[in-house]
Amino acid sequence: MHVHESNPWRTIIALSVFVVILIVGFLTMRKPLLTYELDMKQSLNEAKASDTSFYPWQLDSVLKSEKKSVVLFDIRDHFVYGQGHIPGAENLSAQDLSKNESIERLENLKERGITVVLYGENQLHANGPCMLFRQVGLDNVKELVGGYQYYKSNKDKLAASINDSTLHPEKPRYDFAEMAAPKDGAKLNINTDKKPVVIKRRKKTTAVAGGC
Amino acid sequence: MLILAFGTLAVKKNKELKQIEPEQLLAEMIQPTRYVTTDQVARMVIQGDPSLEMIDVRPTSEYEKFALPRSINIPLDSLLNSTSLQYFGIPGIKVVFISTDDIAADEAWVLTKRLGFNGIYVMTGGLNKWMETIIDPKEPAEEAPETAFETYAFRKGAQLYFTGAKVDNVETPKMKVQVQRRKKTKVVAGGC
Repeated sequence: MHVHESNPWRTIIALSVFVVILIVGFLTMRKPLLTYELDMKQSLNEAKASDTSFYPWQLDSVLKSEKKSVVLFDIRDHFVYGQGHIPGAENLSAQDLSKNESIERLENLKERGITVVLYGENQLHANGPCMLFRQVGLDNVKELVGGYQYYKSNKDKLAASINDSTLHPEKPRYDFAEMAAPKDGAKLNINTDKKPVVIKRRKKTTAVAGGC
Repeated sequence: MLILAFGTLAVKKNKELKQIEPEQLLAEMIQPTRYVTTDQVARMVIQGDPSLEMIDVRPTSEYEKFALPRSINIPLDSLLNSTSLQYFGIPGIKVVFISTDDIAADEAWVLTKRLGFNGIYVMTGGLNKWMETIIDPKEPAEEAPETAFETYAFRKGAQLYFTGAKVDNVETPKMKVQVQRRKKTKVVAGGC
């Protein structure tokens, strides 16, 4: 006779302990720091939306006004930040973006209705993190068009940048087809025009003599 | 217990496409190794690197006007179609996203990376930069470091490859091969 058969309660006790462990496990499961709130399709549409960008001319009024409805985050590393940054920008280097404090800070700013503008050396630098934060539901995050480079070379005329057509992302600066076309009448080394093949027949000089 | 077990099954089924965690996506996107320069792309095209797959994410109308040789067009809108996704995740293939600058290419990168695909890159500066560096390279200033001149020399060669510019100046005179035929001395006479 087995031991548990002597005490039928043992099976039930073991089973309930097991269930309790499972429930405790589920309850104490660490909530992931970030979860996607937009699915792939929504993320794709979000990427094409224009309200994810923050333009330098908008920056101009932010820098002049006292009210803090916009917070700038410099995502370059601390060393580069120290060499020069947009006035009032906080340093939150890309490596620290996924830290708990950073996420909490961003969530806190979202609750208070404050727009967060990320900028890096160029727009590309901030584009990825901005997209990711919007995908996880932090829709108050925007990216600075042109990045720090544009700001640095245009900081005295930020308001005028509204007329700068080069500032719009994905705008060709050149006529690609014309520019890449062969210049100066030069031809590509691939010869495309076909020359008619002229077949010249040799003339028979003398009549074939003989034969079978 | 059974309900719990079936519950986990239902959770798994809801996700149609496998995705990586946001933290992992963030960690991958801050790596500078995900960018390639126009020079690197030009070199791979010239060398005929078979592992290179260039994906142009601009709208089809723009792609038809001009595109890099051998690049294929997947507009950003149709990136998530099942036929488009077949191009990703092939072992040993380097997929390089190309757009007018690099923002749309980067968006394509983030979306495909979220689906967990590896071996994807963004061409920094896009076709605007391609024009400035490969199609119309500028000679460096005299005091520029030697590497700048080496890059310039490469770009001039690449310019020639991609546009055929100034090819006419390089003359390769062809020698005419003269074949001397021996004269037949006699008319063939006779037969069998």
